[in-house]
Amino acid sequence: MLFDYLTRGVKAGLLAGVVFGLLMAGVANPLVAHADALNHDGGGDGHHGHSHATGGEGEAHGGGAVPTAVNRGASVLAGGLWAVLLGGVFFGVVYYFLEPAIPGTGATKSYVLGAAGFVTVSGAPWLVLPPVSPGAQQSLAVSTRLPLYAGMMIVGALTCLLAGYAYNRTCESKGHAAGVAAAMLPFGLLAIPALLAPTNAVSGGLSPALRHGLTGLFVFGQALLWLLLAVGHAQFTDHANDGSEIGVPSSPADEVTTAD
Amino acid sequence: MSTANTVHGRIERARVELTPTQVAAGALLVLALGFTLLFVQEPLVHDSMHNFRHAAGITCH
Repeated sequence: MLFDYLTRGVKAGLLAGVVFGLLMAGVANPLVAHADALNHDGGGDGHHGHSHATGGEGEAHGGGAVPTAVNRGASVLAGGLWAVLLGGVFFGVVYYFLEPAIPGTGATKSYVLGAAGFVTVSGAPWLVLPPVSPGAQQSLAVSTRLPLYAGMMIVGALTCLLAGYAYNRTCESKGHAAGVAAAMLPFGLLAIPALLAPTNAVSGGLSPALRHGLTGLFVFGQALLWLLLAVGHAQFTDHANDGSEIGVPSSPADEVTTAD
Repeated sequence: MSTANTVHGRIERARVELTPTQVAAGALLVLALGFTLLFVQEPLVHDSMHNFRHAAGITCH
């Protein structure tokens, strides 16, 4: 049964991955390349001073260490694989274990999990470390930002679990509307770690309009990704079969080993 | 009934269905993927995903 769930999750991931890959290829790639070009034309914006893993001086992103075509191709591929990974992990494994506890019925469960996944992987970490535009200087070191990002992912996941728990408990006694209200409360708690975390000052050579536009695009891209994962997953899941799926295998052959 | 429709039931069911080797292999796979995503600082790999890491909102420079 776990294997069926995993298959559905990966299928949803493939669907979302194709679309997200197209978004990478058609919109994100050209825009990031354009921003990189602006950064290099501008000079003196400190871009050359940043210490990358290579320690190389004046390393040209999207044109220096690797050919542009490789960068673009790998980014599109990575975008597709990113969706497959999220689909497999969230809509495969996590959905399998948490399905009985996820609020809602039928397709709603897919969308709730999609929202929770977005909050966990992107939303909560972005409260502390919003997506930055290419070439921007960040005051926190990479060695600080990586644990910070990972820590906020854990906080986001716990918040979503707490919200689900609050919904289920409140819904039992006080009804649906009160349950939704109770589920909203834990998300307010996200403000606490967001305020306590060290501030990451960002400065860049790009114009504010372009910077905000790029950040908006990155937020939109990830939100779209999770929406597509949820839509795909809802489509691929036979919700009419929800209740009976557990006790009565739909096709006896694939459940033989677990019939006990 | 170990296959009741609860989270606990799901865990029980997974325990019955999966061998410890499969669980270990799956955990290792996820760990390896996460490790790759986070820590591949090999400049060639890292830089070739430059555009994607911006689009995903996870930047390391």
